[in-house]
Amino acid sequence: MSSKLVFQRNNDSIHPDRSSPDRRLRAREMGIIIGDLEPGPLNAITDVEGVRVGHTTISVGDGKGAVRTGVTVILPNDGRITEEQLCAAYFSLNGWGEMTGVAPIEETGKLSTPIFLTGTYNVGIVHTAAVDYLRQTRLDAKDSTNTLTPVVAECFDDFLSDTLRRLITREDVFNAIKKAKSGPVEEGSVGGGTGMTSFGFKGGIGTSSRMVALNGEKFVVGVLVMTNTANRDQLRIDGVPVGKEIKGYGYKEGKTKSIILIAATTAPLLPFQLKKIAKHVALGLAQTGAISQTGSGDIILAFSTGNRIPAEPAGSFHKIRSVSDFWISPLYQGTVEATQEAIINALTAAQTVVGRDGNTAYGLPLDQVKRIMKKYNRLKDGYFE
Amino acid sequence: MAILNESKKLHLIGKIPWIHPRGKKNAIVDVGDIRVGHLTVSRDTHNPSGLTEMIRTGLTAIIPGDMNEENRYFFGFFPFRNIQEITGYAVTEDFCYLNSPIVLTNSYSLGISYNAVLSFGFRLGRTEIWPPVLLSIDDSYLNGQKESVVEDKDVIQLLRNASNHSVKEGSVGVGLGLHAFDWKGGIGTSSRLFSISGKQFSVGALVASNHGTSELSDRADLNHDKQRRYRQKGSLTIVLATDMPLLPHQIKKVSTSVVVSLPSANTIKNSNDSVTCVLFSLANAMSLKDDGPKVFDYTVANDSSLSPMIRAGLESVTEAVLRSLCLSEPVVGQGNRRLDNIPEESFGALIQVFEKSLAT
Repeated sequence: MSSKLVFQRNNDSIHPDRSSPDRRLRAREMGIIIGDLEPGPLNAITDVEGVRVGHTTISVGDGKGAVRTGVTVILPNDGRITEEQLCAAYFSLNGWGEMTGVAPIEETGKLSTPIFLTGTYNVGIVHTAAVDYLRQTRLDAKDSTNTLTPVVAECFDDFLSDTLRRLITREDVFNAIKKAKSGPVEEGSVGGGTGMTSFGFKGGIGTSSRMVALNGEKFVVGVLVMTNTANRDQLRIDGVPVGKEIKGYGYKEGKTKSIILIAATTAPLLPFQLKKIAKHVALGLAQTGAISQTGSGDIILAFSTGNRIPAEPAGSFHKIRSVSDFWISPLYQGTVEATQEAIINALTAAQTVVGRDGNTAYGLPLDQVKRIMKKYNRLKDGYFE
Repeated sequence: MAILNESKKLHLIGKIPWIHPRGKKNAIVDVGDIRVGHLTVSRDTHNPSGLTEMIRTGLTAIIPGDMNEENRYFFGFFPFRNIQEITGYAVTEDFCYLNSPIVLTNSYSLGISYNAVLSFGFRLGRTEIWPPVLLSIDDSYLNGQKESVVEDKDVIQLLRNASNHSVKEGSVGVGLGLHAFDWKGGIGTSSRLFSISGKQFSVGALVASNHGTSELSDRADLNHDKQRRYRQKGSLTIVLATDMPLLPHQIKKVSTSVVVSLPSANTIKNSNDSVTCVLFSLANAMSLKDDGPKVFDYTVANDSSLSPMIRAGLESVTEAVLRSLCLSEPVVGQGNRRLDNIPEESFGALIQVFEKSLAT
């Protein structure tokens, strides 16, 4: 790993001035309005109170051996996730991928760790750093146990990055945690999404949220994705076959390589209900046209901040709230809508990135997308220029 | 202090009325070309604040065979109340195959080991050795470790040096810091031969015993000095291998059946302990290559013919658990906590409990 000292990390090359003529937009800023529910104020997973997101972007070298990778961390519960755990569930739509920490979640129904998203071969290094972080924060880890099971999930960023080099370090992981914040989430070629490609264009990190009213009480459901999946001709945006209509931007049909989807909600849900939310995330993925090909690890995790369960409970009983299953459907709608929009946001936000061996993943051409959406009458008036 | 009356205890194990005969080495390496290796780490480090960290840990690796695109073995697991890490979880559930060494370790060494399994594959030019399958075990009762104590190269060496010779048992590898039935736990292995319609097959078990409660100790009068060696959550980790052809749903059936029939499972029913059993079959290895076959033709056992496999698996796991107790040398660890090798009379009491359970 000493070779990394030779290079300077240069993040600027992937994040040009957002005011430049080819600046990137969010789907909604372009006039693409997916679904019927209103997004939360940030239209991001950080609309879920206590959820913070942080990125470390790694861009090293050009040409042969170039590395485009990173790590994104979702820190639930304002970083107090090890003290107060959250109900959670996992669902694998097509398990050709790694998500560590799910075996204990299946057993306990609880999330007790931040969630880390990174490149396939970074998992071991990120896991080691995550265990170190958990040990430092977890009260009961002093000497009574060393069961530390962080959630680390991956997609294969091999097209743009020399993944075998595994340049990510413990410091990169700790920096992402340190930088994690509430508020707007940086999307596109950032953090774990730096080297990801999706629908034949540049993919990466995307997020969206929906407000849901249940019996007069307002809840939010937010989704964050790291997308690296599907072929160009499959791409549908709000039902419009955009992928088939786009012209140019040379692209070689490659193996499809995974998407990780994280859903969070303020609605109080028990683990079995979060399992159903996780399954509905898959419907949002389906609406983008992705078919979850065999080489795509499409893995979903859902958690709820509606109950905070002390890791070291006092006494033998505790209170817990849960939405009635008879009234849960609006949350499903919010989940499906936010998932589709999060994936599209990843595409509209991501700049063109040139990676290893000169491999190029183009940013989705927003001018063409607007024209196509307009043609199908799916662009909100006043947005088309 | 060392191992107490080893030969007498092994004799007691031999006297249990087993149905199925043992394999040649009475170890998991009797099955196919399985190799096993241990990396044991025992050292005391003094940190600047004057505290001593007594490191009592290690890794144990099971290599299923020649891992390449031609040899992807059907694989599955039954995590019974498991709260420990199982990596490769999604691939195992949805693709049902193994193409990695299985490494047993604790949380601190798990990420390093994951990365090292990748390095091991990269150096062989085999990026398809993925996903790494690692099972974590909590060894914090004796192990004062607070960060990883192994490096990439140590684990790669462990994987390279794994052998199919006789397997070391007891306080070795990940077994060094383990704790079972109030005594020293550790690694144990055993194998059985069984036949189905005249065809002979073998099954082998390797276990890491870190389970067993004080409740059982009281019932069987195992703990003669009545000293409580309290530990929050224990686990029994089982790796089972066979050359009998099994499809994934049968792997689920067999591993579930073995776990719920285990005398050890009986002994944990009122505690927070868990049992995690993984099982792979070396028969019907899949060739998943770009230019490989598009359709596979398998010969498999009928679902109704699995009983001998389940019984043989149960016997190999039961004996492996007993051997892990019998062969574990005493270890003094963090906070000067000490676990001794189980005394003969306690071992005899445990055997009686196990024997009764096996007979019913």
